[in-house]
Amino acid sequence: MEENPNPVYKDQRYGQSKELLYSYDADGQFHKNVGFHGEPDRIILQQAWDHFDERIADARQRVLAGKASPIVYYMEKFLADPLNLSMMAGISIWRVKWHLRPGAFKRLNEKTLKKYADAFNITVAQLKKVE
Amino acid sequence: MINYTHRQAGHCESGATSNLLNYYGINMSEPMAFGIGNGLYFSYIPFLKVQFAPMISFRNLPNTVFHRSMKYLGIEATVIKKFRDPKEAMVALDRNLEKGIPTGMQVGVFNLTFFPPEYRMHYNMHNLVCYGKEGDLYHISDTVMETAQVLTYEDLLRVRYAKGVFAPEGKMYWIDKIPNELDIKSAVSMGIKKTVYEMIKIPFPLIGVKGLKWMGRDLRKWPKKHGVDKASFYLGQVLRMAEDFGTGGAGFRFIYGDFLKEAGEKFNHTELLEASQMMGKTANKWREFTYIGARNCKNRSKPEEDYGMLGDMMHEIAGMEEQVYKKLDKIKL
Repeated sequence: MEENPNPVYKDQRYGQSKELLYSYDADGQFHKNVGFHGEPDRIILQQAWDHFDERIADARQRVLAGKASPIVYYMEKFLADPLNLSMMAGISIWRVKWHLRPGAFKRLNEKTLKKYADAFNITVAQLKKVE
Repeated sequence: MINYTHRQAGHCESGATSNLLNYYGINMSEPMAFGIGNGLYFSYIPFLKVQFAPMISFRNLPNTVFHRSMKYLGIEATVIKKFRDPKEAMVALDRNLEKGIPTGMQVGVFNLTFFPPEYRMHYNMHNLVCYGKEGDLYHISDTVMETAQVLTYEDLLRVRYAKGVFAPEGKMYWIDKIPNELDIKSAVSMGIKKTVYEMIKIPFPLIGVKGLKWMGRDLRKWPKKHGVDKASFYLGQVLRMAEDFGTGGAGFRFIYGDFLKEAGEKFNHTELLEASQMMGKTANKWREFTYIGARNCKNRSKPEEDYGMLGDMMHEIAGMEEQVYKKLDKIKL
């Protein structure tokens, strides 16, 4: 447990809220402390966010190079995998996987595009281009 | 608005359960609710991926803690598992609040506006209690946060109908009627019995102590099988599930130890107190595991050696836990 809010996280918004943490001391007592997570807990959480950021950047590159459909970028940005996305959009997982190709994405009709856009909470126009 | 006291807790569901019981005048701490409702659990499912890493769970299925603690304590409670129509779910919540019943709900974390941003992942097994409505705003007691929060109608509707694995589908629960006398002793006994069953007696290799051992074995193979980067990410997932996501530390082992201690003191039972000491030591071993694992995640030095050591450590932890459960199995209350 630490007193300082944010020594490890790269994003300044992270690690600002205090949590209730338990501990067990040599005297045989369990203690409840309200405070911030210790350094190891933060390292592992930051590692996960590094991993996600890497995946998002990689997906963006592939989409801009025309090797993947914009759905890939938004899916990674939403921290979802095809299974999650299929549940969120209400489209079967095989079709979702098919739509991750740029060619298949171009042929999508408005109705399906709307489903994806709703799942990502954006408009269809935003879905079609990656900034 | 209902006069509901918000208290912070380590684990969302047992915190909500203990707060609800406190509202009805039963003095119950969070560890006690957690132990009676047997929240302690372990499962390792390598072929199912959650957030790109094997699924590891230190908690039971959603709503187990509330449901079982009510059952064992003999309290009448209502659980509505599913509303097909989201609007109807909100109407049902409003009706409850008008009657003055604080209502617990299962929600998804991803769109929860007040939640700490570092935990913003697709996790649908979070619990919170709603205890009042003013105009468009709902008053929410989320035990992860230090203070009570508010949510708008749209925000609450969105989190209650989060999609994905274990979708909440508007699940809500509340306490109906408390009997005049509560038999806490038998409830504790039943809770411990069930936990022991789930941790060492289920004849399936991926659950409980057997699951821990299986994971320890797999852990050693990860660097060879998946490469150093992925292995370190997988190891991180184990540690994140144990430490970060609302467990109170060490994958609920601290809370469970505290429960054993409280029960031992309440019923003056020396063996329970001994078991609680053992559990505390196991929990500290888990913390040690986290320290070494986090160092590994940071430096990524000498992977084979490190993972071998971590695997041994996991086996040691599994052995220590097995001793605790075997001891608990023999205890008669």
